[in-house]
Amino acid sequence: MNNQRFRKILDAILVPLLAVLSGLVVMGILIVFLKKPLFESYTILFSHGFGCEAYGNCIFITALERATPIILTGLSAVVAFRSGMFSIGQEGQYLLGAAAAAWLGYAIHLPPILHPLVLIIAGMLVGAGYGWIPGILKVKLGVNELLATIMLNSIAALIIEYLVQFPMRGDRSTTAHSPVIDESAQLLAFLPGSKWGVGFIIAVIAVIVIYIYLWRTKPGYEQRMAGQSTKFALYGGIRSDRAAIRAMLISGALAGLAGAIEVMGVHRRIMTGFSVGLGFDGLTSAILGQIHPIGVFIVAILFSGLKLGAQLGLQLKLDIPRELGGTIIGFIILFVAAGKFYEESIVRVRDWFTRRRGSNLKGESR
Amino acid sequence: MTPAIEMKGMTKYFVSTHVRANDDVDFSVESGEVHALVGENGAGKTTLMNILYGLINPDSGEISIGSQKVRIGHPDDAIKHGIGMVHQHFKLVPSFTVAQNILLGMEPDRAGFLNEQKENELVDELAKKYNLPVDPAARIWDLPVSMQQRVEILKVLQRNAKILVLDEPTAVLTPQEVNELITVIRGLSRLGYTIIFITHKLIEVMSVADRVSVMRGGKMVGTKKVSETSIPELARMMVGREVLLRVKKKEIKRGEAVLEARNISVSDVNGLAAISHVSFQVHKGEIVAIAGVSGNGQTELVEAISGMLDLDGGEIIFRGKPINNASVGERRDKGMAHIPEDRMVVGLNLQTTLDENLIVSRYNHSEFSRYGFLLMKTISQFAEKVVNAFSISAARPGEGISMLSGGNLQKVVVGRELSGDPSFVIANQPTRGLDVGSIEFVHKTLIEERDKGAGVLLVSVELDEVMALSDRILVLYRGQIQGELEAATATEAEVGILMAGGNLEDLKQHEKDNGQGYKREGKS
Repeated sequence: MNNQRFRKILDAILVPLLAVLSGLVVMGILIVFLKKPLFESYTILFSHGFGCEAYGNCIFITALERATPIILTGLSAVVAFRSGMFSIGQEGQYLLGAAAAAWLGYAIHLPPILHPLVLIIAGMLVGAGYGWIPGILKVKLGVNELLATIMLNSIAALIIEYLVQFPMRGDRSTTAHSPVIDESAQLLAFLPGSKWGVGFIIAVIAVIVIYIYLWRTKPGYEQRMAGQSTKFALYGGIRSDRAAIRAMLISGALAGLAGAIEVMGVHRRIMTGFSVGLGFDGLTSAILGQIHPIGVFIVAILFSGLKLGAQLGLQLKLDIPRELGGTIIGFIILFVAAGKFYEESIVRVRDWFTRRRGSNLKGESR
Repeated sequence: MTPAIEMKGMTKYFVSTHVRANDDVDFSVESGEVHALVGENGAGKTTLMNILYGLINPDSGEISIGSQKVRIGHPDDAIKHGIGMVHQHFKLVPSFTVAQNILLGMEPDRAGFLNEQKENELVDELAKKYNLPVDPAARIWDLPVSMQQRVEILKVLQRNAKILVLDEPTAVLTPQEVNELITVIRGLSRLGYTIIFITHKLIEVMSVADRVSVMRGGKMVGTKKVSETSIPELARMMVGREVLLRVKKKEIKRGEAVLEARNISVSDVNGLAAISHVSFQVHKGEIVAIAGVSGNGQTELVEAISGMLDLDGGEIIFRGKPINNASVGERRDKGMAHIPEDRMVVGLNLQTTLDENLIVSRYNHSEFSRYGFLLMKTISQFAEKVVNAFSISAARPGEGISMLSGGNLQKVVVGRELSGDPSFVIANQPTRGLDVGSIEFVHKTLIEERDKGAGVLLVSVELDEVMALSDRILVLYRGQIQGELEAATATEAEVGILMAGGNLEDLKQHEKDNGQGYKREGKS
């Protein structure tokens, strides 16, 4: 029984693992082309992405901090995908959630604890509302949610630009940004000089809650069944349309939460260029993480570490352009998309082994 | 007689499923005979034929054709050696004409341009030669299934096949069409062709084959001359135990009406009328069969009753109350069970576990969930119980079901639907594609439900099944009820003529005219 479980997990992570390894191999090839030391590049990439320096200054902590919003937008994608909604609207929901938190952070004044709570709820509500739009369009009018969310992402990015340029603009500095939020609204960091804090705890809780929600509750069951087979759901008496709307509300709320936490814990405001594609990073970590909350958690940290290692290690120490980090991640995604290739190779390798062993095995015929 | 095909020691082990699909199988077919290959689902018939046709490479074993050892690694090799296969699911281009399909890849051309007239002439010639009339210019999508099958056979013959493999050719045909196909097979055999005929249906074996080989669990159980065997013996060989071919049932105790359809009309997905103004009742303790050739509105009728499809008009009364506006879930909560015709896509979710498949109609009930949380332990115990009660040997709670055979999948569906003590059961083609053992099981369970007092609406295209199970027969033809018969007194001929769209007076007239059955020319 335990063995079986282990095998199932192994089957699930084999493809992403091979994809990551392939991505790192491609990185090696690129580094050879750039005429840089190969072995050193790998050690530096990892020590500067996941390592700790002697006197307790851990870059890994920064990786965790950077991973926080990606975990949440990744969960957002997991909930949508598992429910059969191919929504890539995390970016837009994230932006609007952030805007809501940034505004209430300076516009109203509340005591600590209450203030962050209000901001978090506001961010989630706004995100959920923005997720509801493609959901209702899909259910009522059959509008493809993929197209709808692409459009809504662009709209949200422009709304943010407008907000920081005009109504929410804090001062007359050259780059537009909103006023800093109240101290009472900011999220606590664990270590001085780092921004890794309460937000990460919230993300971990969200991972657990979403896991339980999807696999242990009635509405989660409905959503997954509707997502896997609408016909089966209809036949069994599950209301797929309601499940889809609910999925989009939750998905939007998670992305909005990511935005609120990013404002409250890291930037303390929104500014022009606030959107750096964290919603899309969540999307890719959901895909590499096998559309599973725990997978998302691991992959989000991995991606953040790789990016940091490329930025702080490869670029500063070896003068390798930091874009290499993004390039590796791009390749990893590409290899995941080619997952079928790995699966077939695995089966072929296994076939070969068992045939060598199995020619004198007793047959287990059906 | 010389063997046309000799397969020796064929072994194939599928690593991904850990199944030895063929285990040291010997199989030999004589030239010019009709050889039936029978066995339950998963017995290895299709694997054996796919090896012969070059679709699967065996782990070991050798094949001889006409006493010459050959290697068949690809269908091209098979075709070269004169083997042709008509698959269960036709491989025709629907938008092409009959001639274009038959000559696909070998068209007579004039300097690279197609010559339609010549194509049609060629096909006409071919059809005459084998006495298989077709219209060369007709488009495939306009043709009934039996005609499409004929096109497939001609296509194989055009490629100079001497040995024809027919994979479950009768599964898609009406009784009349089956008779025609049997005539065709006999004719080809007389012309010297060798025919391998895969089927589940032993009646067909008896009426068409010269010899029959039985497979079970990947092994060849034996080969018999049809003249020296019987249906019970073959069934026993297939299943490995005694099989009740016709399930016994008790005297009917008809109760009050549990379901009533009043003048209902339903449209299909394209908005065309599929069911128009149909009325009937199903009482407690009886099995009402909806007979008819598939595509006459059965799917829509069932979906409308189960709540998956809206009515265009009329009213459905369930246990005394109109349910037109009730959702699928509400109908199920009131005691309606539904065994759908498509178990792979509709009845089950193959991507998830056995447990989650078993609770889909009742996850809302307090036995399986509390405060919105699923009671995982209870659900798992329930799965265990269903597995035992319905002897779903291969299924295990907590694990996936995608590897289960068709018979076991259907047992999962039946187990779920009948374990809630329903008052009304819709069974739509409940035994389609199942082997004798599983058919026996499904028939038994349906009769048990009836004897327990449930009303059963059996929708089936299998005449045998309708005759064996039902108390009352309604024949559906083009969305309307063509006639109603008491099962006890109805004959197959009567049901057959109604299925073809005729009426009972036609049949009487016909019998008076030439003292024969309907077989040759059913009026429509």
